Amino acid sequence: MTEAANMDIHHRRASNGHINIDDVVLIEQCRQGDSVAMEHLILKYQNRIYNVILKICADPDDAAELTQETFVKIIENLNKFEGRSSFYTWAFRIAVNLTLNYCRRNVKLGFKSLDAELVQHNSQAKWLLRQFLSDDSSPDPAAVAQNKELCEIALESLMKLDDAQRAVVVLRDIEGMNYARIAEVLDIELGTVRSRLSRARSKLRQILEAIL
Amino acid sequence: MKVDPEIDELLNCFIDGELTTREQAEVQRLLAHDAKIEQRLQQLQKCKMLVGSLPAAEAPVEMAEQVKASLERRTLLGEQSLVFAERSGARHLLVRKVLAAAAMIGLVAVLATTIYTIVAPQEAPPVPVAMEGQTPPGEIEAVESRSGAMEMEFHGRLELKTSDLIAVDAFINRTIKDNSLSGAISPARQQEKSVYSLSCSREGLNLLLADLGGIWEKFDSATLFVETEVFGRPVVVDAVTAMQVAEIVNQESLQRCAEVAKDFALLNNIAQRLPGREILAAIDDRSRSLITLPKPVLTGNQKTTVKPTGHAEDKQKMHLNIVVVGGE
Repeated sequence: MTEAANMDIHHRRASNGHINIDDVVLIEQCRQGDSVAMEHLILKYQNRIYNVILKICADPDDAAELTQETFVKIIENLNKFEGRSSFYTWAFRIAVNLTLNYCRRNVKLGFKSLDAELVQHNSQAKWLLRQFLSDDSSPDPAAVAQNKELCEIALESLMKLDDAQRAVVVLRDIEGMNYARIAEVLDIELGTVRSRLSRARSKLRQILEAIL
Repeated sequence: MKVDPEIDELLNCFIDGELTTREQAEVQRLLAHDAKIEQRLQQLQKCKMLVGSLPAAEAPVEMAEQVKASLERRTLLGEQSLVFAERSGARHLLVRKVLAAAAMIGLVAVLATTIYTIVAPQEAPPVPVAMEGQTPPGEIEAVESRSGAMEMEFHGRLELKTSDLIAVDAFINRTIKDNSLSGAISPARQQEKSVYSLSCSREGLNLLLADLGGIWEKFDSATLFVETEVFGRPVVVDAVTAMQVAEIVNQESLQRCAEVAKDFALLNNIAQRLPGREILAAIDDRSRSLITLPKPVLTGNQKTTVKPTGHAEDKQKMHLNIVVVGGE
């Protein structure tokens, strides 16, 4: 088999998310105490993990702390990683579990959602949202992302979901995981992922309509 | 718009590309025929788009450094805690060793005590040896202490009235002979009265009473006078029975004799004053016939020993004057 063919196989496997050859090498080097490899591993995943944690816990400082804790835990437990799931799934499982446990413990989030209810959106923001939600509009995702006020409304609405629903929505719509991987990360059944995501989106729609 | 959760779930899976080809075809068929489902699909798609369009946040740039620092800190703390754990472990081990040693010593002590109790020769209790005319040196003290407790001298008078004085006299004389009490009794025959001054051991008196119990029904009345130092004057027990006399004389002390005699006196007086005494007497007679005073007998392989004079038994002297009065 040629080197190009090998690369192709590795690439396809990596894209399927089963085995990432880079991760395997980095993990092995980390296990041997290679600090450069450890840094590479952190740099590779830090933004994605931080982003998911932030979207679940909503506080940048807490998210940074939880991300740091996640990596510490990952590196401390690398020897226990058996490779039955991908490193990516394993790392996200640690991150989401830490974050959900933190959310359960911390009542701070409860105050946040109460504060969020008090936020009064200006008329322009409401108009934008109405336009976005109207049946005959076909909004461009890139344009929505550019709109700061719409993003604030979206984040606020997301925070009004309960923790478990928010985690599913974030993993699916922000991190882009498929249902099977979400089930693996959250350690729940595939059917639970489907129903939980459906209820979360339905509730999100209600929250958005309530803002108007 | 009324939302069907199952349709919603199907539409969400459709949006996310999580349906099989057949399910996708089904959803597309539904969408083509139902405008409301089409509308709902758009609503859900917009929700997904809105969340998905949220800008991705970037982790703090110093994340890797912070993680490294945190790991180093934890390693140091871990080492410190390891050292502490080792020290506390050593302390714990030492305590356990000391405790184990103490437990072993305790166990050995208990075992030694148990073994000593089993193995060590016990001091045999002094065996009394009865010898005619001689008292073994070890015996003197024991007997004396026992006799001290049992020392008593009973004085009493038993008055029996009978209409058949001759037969009763004959019976008593035969009983005296049978029980070898000839030396302990001094009969005196007066007119219509016989007096037997009995000075014997408790055992001898019991033998006599046991025999007298057999002819007690021949007595018209029986009265026991118990001389006592405590009460000053004798305790009189009317209508006394042979069993009651035996009960009284067999008490351990004179005071108890007097107390029991008083109890019987009271009891017998009450019984005599009760209405329908005849019936009670009849019942009493029948029960008396059933209960016989046990006569001491030798059982087993015991050998009779001749008791030397001056023994403790001699100090339990029973002085009983039996007065048998004849008459109608």
